[in-house]
Amino acid sequence: MLEVIIAGFIDALHPLSLLFVLLGVIAGVIAGAIPGINGPMAIALCIPLSYYMSPVAAIGFLVGLNKGAFFGGSISGVLLNTPGTPEAAATTWDGYPLALQGRGEKALRMALYASVTGDAFSTIVLILVAAPLATVALYMGPPEIFALICLAMTIIAGLGTQSILRGLIAAALGVLVGSIGMEPVSALPRLTFDLYQLERGISLVPIGIGMLAFSELIIQLERRVKQNGSECAISFSSKPEDRFISWKEYRGLTKTLLRASIAGTVVGALPGLGAPVASFFAYDQEKKRSKTPEAFGTGKLEGIAASESANSAVVGGSLIPLFTLGIPGNVAAALLIGAFVIHGMIPGPLMFEQNAQLIYAVYGSLIIANIFLLGVGRVGLKSFCKVVQMPAAILYPMIIFTCIVGSYLAEYSVFDVSLMLFFAFIAYFMKKFDFNHICFIIGFILAPIWETSLQQVIISSQNNLFMFFTRPVAIILMAITFYVVIKSIRGSFKKALTV
Amino acid sequence: MTLRQRDNLIYGGIALGSVAFLVWVIPAYTPPYPGYGVSASLLPNVTVGIILALSVLALIRNILSYVLIKKNKPEESPSAVANPGDKVYLWHLARFMIPCVLLMPAMKWAGFIPAGIAFMLLIQFLCGQRKPVTMVLVAVGLVGALFAVMRYGLGVPMP
Repeated sequence: MLEVIIAGFIDALHPLSLLFVLLGVIAGVIAGAIPGINGPMAIALCIPLSYYMSPVAAIGFLVGLNKGAFFGGSISGVLLNTPGTPEAAATTWDGYPLALQGRGEKALRMALYASVTGDAFSTIVLILVAAPLATVALYMGPPEIFALICLAMTIIAGLGTQSILRGLIAAALGVLVGSIGMEPVSALPRLTFDLYQLERGISLVPIGIGMLAFSELIIQLERRVKQNGSECAISFSSKPEDRFISWKEYRGLTKTLLRASIAGTVVGALPGLGAPVASFFAYDQEKKRSKTPEAFGTGKLEGIAASESANSAVVGGSLIPLFTLGIPGNVAAALLIGAFVIHGMIPGPLMFEQNAQLIYAVYGSLIIANIFLLGVGRVGLKSFCKVVQMPAAILYPMIIFTCIVGSYLAEYSVFDVSLMLFFAFIAYFMKKFDFNHICFIIGFILAPIWETSLQQVIISSQNNLFMFFTRPVAIILMAITFYVVIKSIRGSFKKALTV
Repeated sequence: MTLRQRDNLIYGGIALGSVAFLVWVIPAYTPPYPGYGVSASLLPNVTVGIILALSVLALIRNILSYVLIKKNKPEESPSAVANPGDKVYLWHLARFMIPCVLLMPAMKWAGFIPAGIAFMLLIQFLCGQRKPVTMVLVAVGLVGALFAVMRYGLGVPMP
């Protein structure tokens, strides 16, 4: 076992892997710093590039991208009061007031150290918890996996939208799109509408780019994002105490960082909650615990530390259900499933047996990405600040063109570009009508596992669905699923009828 | 259009679409049961069935709520009017989508670089860029750089 662990970490230390992790972190920080661009969008755009990398480098690159984007979101939040990513919103409450006092650099350094601390904490938890949990998960058969996916999709649908009905419809639509292509048992084309290009199924790349990036750009352009070079009116003080975080200040925030990191890791491990919930929850808890809650929102370092460490801890936390059960904790983890599949691996408990070396290489990449984030953040802080000033009229056309080229790149297929535009069109209307496109993507990604487990249940039980009653874990999971669905639908009826 | 009317239209459309799938699309485009394993139409039927059930449920909820509100207050409340942010701007959507749809055929006809540059110039104009030098520099720079990376760096066969 020790040899596997060492070999995995050696793979992560390969110069090319290191280079791609570094590039991922830099690209992630830049993407996160641009208002409107977030980690999942950047991952969707970069998945086609990962085709050209080794599995370790590809996963390291995408993980680095995700980590970098979490910190990057705080840059525009602190300097422009416009969070680059939704999870950085709580950071702006104290970051921007600090920047107005000329202490923007100090606020950004605090955000960086908090991000690195939260991330390191969740990575340690992931490494310690994932393997034992996967051993337990190995005892789960198809009925349990089927029930678990039903529960995960229900929770994601319920938490992601204002209406669980719309969330579930979006998830079911995603599963339907996921069923296009070769049917796994008969190996005959299904729902292909006589288009031979659909026989291989629809890949994640056009859906990811179309729904996460392209449609979002169209909507943002609709809101007339015409701030030609958002002028950064913040001045940076030259006094060291206004620029740096002293060791004493950092030590004084240890409890805050620890509490927020625990909150972020737990929230990340639960499907559907996501980083914004973690950062708002941690900020709120810290405010409640503080002796001076009235000072929050005026430039308190505790506020930045709580928000940033919680949202960064979500990265490692969301990988726990991904590695142990094959179920994503959030959309970034869902996209990582796609990347794993592209490189021939199916995330889940079996990965610890079949691809143990790769798992440890990914752990190594996570640690390295964290170290790089610290280095890149410290060295390039001022350069990244310039990114937030890039005019939308230059940036958005560049991203639109990259979306088109990126969807072509995955399979060298013009048809994939058409699919990307089609799904962007669908996502535009889904967003307008509050049907969560994230539920759609997660439904799409989980469809093959869901179908396989459903088929295994039906075949092994010889069409006797009562076999569920012989599996207590499956019964409990299905019971929770039905309880959540019925309770949410009852709630929505009650709300509609009392208005 | 009020929010409720719009929702009813959406749910009604989804329900009709689901029925069309169950009655026509799924039977026509799924292979027949091979005699072993599970029928290929099982998953599509289950998911479309779920979509149909949920949309009908939402329609029933909206109708019940409408009847109750009509009973209590005959005038629709202003909050029930659709949010302007949720408004669909079809012209805006079309003016970005159409050049994108035409880009690939244009690349096949004129080549990656000329079609890419023309596309970038147009999209920049649509995004509000009015400085010709910047437009040309960005278009040529990005298209040239991507072509070099893809063609010579990654060896991708270009459209």
